[in-house]
Amino acid sequence: MDRPAPFLELREGEAGWVLRLGGEWRIGNLTRIEGLLADIRVPHDTPLRVDAEAVTGLDSAGVMLLVNRLRAAGVVWSNVDLAIADPHQRTLVQLIADRLDARARPRRRRRRLLPMIGRHAEHLWRLAADYFTFFGRLVYALRDLARQPGRFRVREFTTQLEATGLDALPIVLLMNFLMGVVFAFLMGIQVAKFGANIFVVDGVALAVTRELGPLLTAILLAGRSGAAFTAQIGAMKVTEEIDAISTLGLSPMQVLVLPRLLAIVLTMPLLAGMGDMVGMLGGALVAAWQLDITPYTFFDRLRAVLPFNTLLFGLYKTPVFAAAIAFIACRNGFAVSRDARSVGEHTTGTVVQSLVAVILIDSAFAVAFPEIK
Amino acid sequence: MAASAPDRPLLEAEDIHTRLGGRWLHEGVSFDIGRGEVVALIGGSGTGKSVLLRECIGLLRPTSGRVRLFGEDIWSLDQLSVNRVRSRFGVLFQEGALFSSLTVAENVAAPLDVHCRLPRRLRDEVVALNIRLAGLPMDAADKRPSELSGGMKKRAGLARALVLEPELLFLDEPTSGLDPISAREFDHLLRVLCDSLGLTALLATHDLDTLWGMVDRVIVLHGGRVIADGPVDQVSRMEHDWIRAYFSAHSGGRTGDEHGI
Repeated sequence: MDRPAPFLELREGEAGWVLRLGGEWRIGNLTRIEGLLADIRVPHDTPLRVDAEAVTGLDSAGVMLLVNRLRAAGVVWSNVDLAIADPHQRTLVQLIADRLDARARPRRRRRRLLPMIGRHAEHLWRLAADYFTFFGRLVYALRDLARQPGRFRVREFTTQLEATGLDALPIVLLMNFLMGVVFAFLMGIQVAKFGANIFVVDGVALAVTRELGPLLTAILLAGRSGAAFTAQIGAMKVTEEIDAISTLGLSPMQVLVLPRLLAIVLTMPLLAGMGDMVGMLGGALVAAWQLDITPYTFFDRLRAVLPFNTLLFGLYKTPVFAAAIAFIACRNGFAVSRDARSVGEHTTGTVVQSLVAVILIDSAFAVAFPEIK
Repeated sequence: MAASAPDRPLLEAEDIHTRLGGRWLHEGVSFDIGRGEVVALIGGSGTGKSVLLRECIGLLRPTSGRVRLFGEDIWSLDQLSVNRVRSRFGVLFQEGALFSSLTVAENVAAPLDVHCRLPRRLRDEVVALNIRLAGLPMDAADKRPSELSGGMKKRAGLARALVLEPELLFLDEPTSGLDPISAREFDHLLRVLCDSLGLTALLATHDLDTLWGMVDRVIVLHGGRVIADGPVDQVSRMEHDWIRAYFSAHSGGRTGDEHGI
């Protein structure tokens, strides 16, 4: 379509200055119009007439630019004598000039270092306070459950047992097996240098049962179940299901949090125990293949170097990991605000925070019990 | 100011049939909307108003029939041309459909960034103008959609729909979820904008007050067909069970004298 380019000219008439505009004053030409307006020097102490008879197309962006730029040049818009033919265009100009009257620009958010540190500190403080509150609610919920065990949500509990335990089993076994293989393989290279092949059993047994098995299982469940808890509870928050639960006279802590918490506390030691076994199986496989240690020798040695206490010690940690993950995940689920973005943010938060928590707890255990008798 | 074929309707729906979920939703729906008209599409729940709207804006393909926007059959255009047509109309979705990860100002700027490259300062000015036109206070610009009330979300959605200077506006239930006072304000705002910006609008609505207050013409969808098409007072007097039930749904005998608030 043939559309005339916008133009603008300023000349002195008999009754003051006349600004004549024409062509297409539309959003598609906005950059050009701005250039035209920038070149014009409007004398602002004499009457100004704006002659828009030759304008072929006008939209709100075009009007806005004219009004804004003339105002910026010191022209009082209400004193401008406007000549415009089309009644539609006249109402448009009036509407835009009215709406632009109270002028304010969107402020740009400026990032400065100090306020940023302050905001983050405040955020951390609130987060800590929020965790304490949630911990309090959890304790109350546990107390209520102890008083009235009949109100326990058995079906939700078994559903969560399946989701956090049975469904996670294949991936937990596979990862622990691979970890056993890798660890035995790398350690085998070292012990073979000293001709101390048989000590690979000591290494694998201790590493897998004390650290690798429980930690790996906790990491997997933090990513798998922890994220799922937050996303589920968060989505329920968005759709107001949690409010609906409260309105029914039920406690969301009882209905949603406790079954999840207890389920994962129960399943994680079981998963970690099975993980330990396949981890050692992986170690035995590598030992047989790389170091010529028959599985019989491997497990015979294992009995001598791995006291049952060490295995148990590794497993004792897992319910604590599980409780931390469920606690963090549920807290984050409840902290979701009512929009889609928030669900994603809090799910990420859950994974990061629970991994940090797991490693911290693990370190605490290591420091508190360096040696196991 | 409309240089291009002023006699041709902006939107033409021709013999639209839609089959959804194993049943016929539309069995030959046809209507035209001319430049400058504000038209309401009414019908009971489940008669396919929203579906029809989605077919008009190119989101859902009708089983058969033709939708012409600005004279172009949008279901036979290539992607590039469809996008060009899309930059000429704006849509206000029922819940506003604001992007929840962006602030209001960024939401309003989003269509500009896609269709119309502008220098940043100029873009901000255009965004500020549209936020004002939609009747939002400037301090709403930095807020996220989750911090807004339902009415403000609609206004922000309207600002986003208006930012590309569309010729045609589609509105899905513009006043649903608003209290009666906000709803009337929103109607008034829409009418003022349509009149001053020279907009053509098609709105799917349930709101009788909207019909009496701001609409030039009503299209009634019933049983998969258009059963009435005309000015409100004319349609409201038609002898048809559903139409009579619909217009008497507001007890207290609403009459035509409220026309033109």
